[in-house]
Amino acid sequence: MSNPTAESGASSYSGTVVAVNAVISVVVALGLVWVVNGFNVFYERLDRVSPTVEGGAIGSAFVKGNEMELLVFMVEAIHVIDVIAGLGILLIMFIHWGAFRRIAGRMRQPGDSRAVTDGGEAADEGGETQ
Amino acid sequence: MTNLDHGKFTRMTTVFHSLLAMDVFFLFFTGYAIMFNDELWWMLTLMGGSGSVAALHRVFGVGLLALVTFWVLMMVTTDTGRSNFRELMPTPEDAKAFVQDIQFVLGNAEERHPNARQFAGGTADEIPLLSYVGKGVIFIFAAELTMLSVSGLLIWSKAGLMQYFATQTAAMAFVVFHGLLGVVMIMGVMFHIFEHGFHPAFFPVETKAFIPRSMIPEDHEDDTEGTGIEQLELSPAWASATNLAGAATVIGIVSVMVASIYDTGFPVSTELIIGGGPSNLLLTVGVNMGVLVLFLGMVLSVYGNLVRIRWEQRMQEEADAESVDVETAD
Repeated sequence: MSNPTAESGASSYSGTVVAVNAVISVVVALGLVWVVNGFNVFYERLDRVSPTVEGGAIGSAFVKGNEMELLVFMVEAIHVIDVIAGLGILLIMFIHWGAFRRIAGRMRQPGDSRAVTDGGEAADEGGETQ
Repeated sequence: MTNLDHGKFTRMTTVFHSLLAMDVFFLFFTGYAIMFNDELWWMLTLMGGSGSVAALHRVFGVGLLALVTFWVLMMVTTDTGRSNFRELMPTPEDAKAFVQDIQFVLGNAEERHPNARQFAGGTADEIPLLSYVGKGVIFIFAAELTMLSVSGLLIWSKAGLMQYFATQTAAMAFVVFHGLLGVVMIMGVMFHIFEHGFHPAFFPVETKAFIPRSMIPEDHEDDTEGTGIEQLELSPAWASATNLAGAATVIGIVSVMVASIYDTGFPVSTELIIGGGPSNLLLTVGVNMGVLVLFLGMVLSVYGNLVRIRWEQRMQEEADAESVDVETAD
């Protein structure tokens, strides 16, 4: 291809670096999974039933977890973040939908076969032109 | 002037984008089949039930860990990565671009700001590597993917987490946190699909995300003023396709947002609650529509790569024809 491209003169990534980093990434990912798999406990030691609440019966642990302030705050905070982010995304979504409609109005309409003059014909609204 | 537009990304970036997209789509399909099982029960069944879906989610999770690590290494260990990182930094122009976009939609501005323009055309010299939305996407997705990876690793072995906090419900809190964290990402990806699939100049897909800049010819017509978008013909299908996809995307985002408020699991209820799903038809339809938008995104990602393969073949044919011409001339 004789055309110059956007890459002419621009830096790019070396194949060796890509390959080495890819191998390291896979090793790190598998290593992390190996580590968290060891983060375990023999099931019989977990939640041994003790008949009293003082003894740490299953029911008491259940309630204790539900009342951990840090965890309750963490989940409530992410609920709020979800709603704020959702509203923000909807705003940006409507902005783009509106912008796309306006830009589309400046393009040649489907089936419009009028010849374009050299350098393009001035459109009614000018497209994304200057 | 073509809708191929100017190339922006290296082959490493375009390939990475496709791999990350596939992995994230499957993480969404498996993860939200679990979290929104009231609405997406059919997906859970289709993928073999909860055990199978959880196993698949972990497989794609390992893929995400590798991809995130790879990207961090590429950004840190290469000159190109470090220099591109500087171009990701938000500038005051990005804030102006956001305000001008609102003005453009309201009819108070004639043009989109260069930092908002997706179609560069004749104005490529003014356009930064990433638009203000592009920068936001990278920052939000990078933060989200990192936190999702960390929280995902934490809940990999729930028994360990239960032991650490000495309670089962604490593990549930982390699972719920992980699911709610991904809601920002799932809504963002739905918008990302609309933004890059339904720009009138690029419809049905913005190919610069798939065709590396090394393969995109740069022909500058100095007599063209502005982007020259008025020379492009609008696809006959654009209007109806965009209305449909736009409506599905908005409904999908709203439904996932509402479902995330109701379909939670922490604090763990002491009573059995029947909620969401078939008991709420609107929410079920809406969340499924959101999944449909994600599926459309996956199809468009595959289509983008199909266009790239076709383009590679065409370039190869032209290169072969040229070499034959040169040999003949010799």
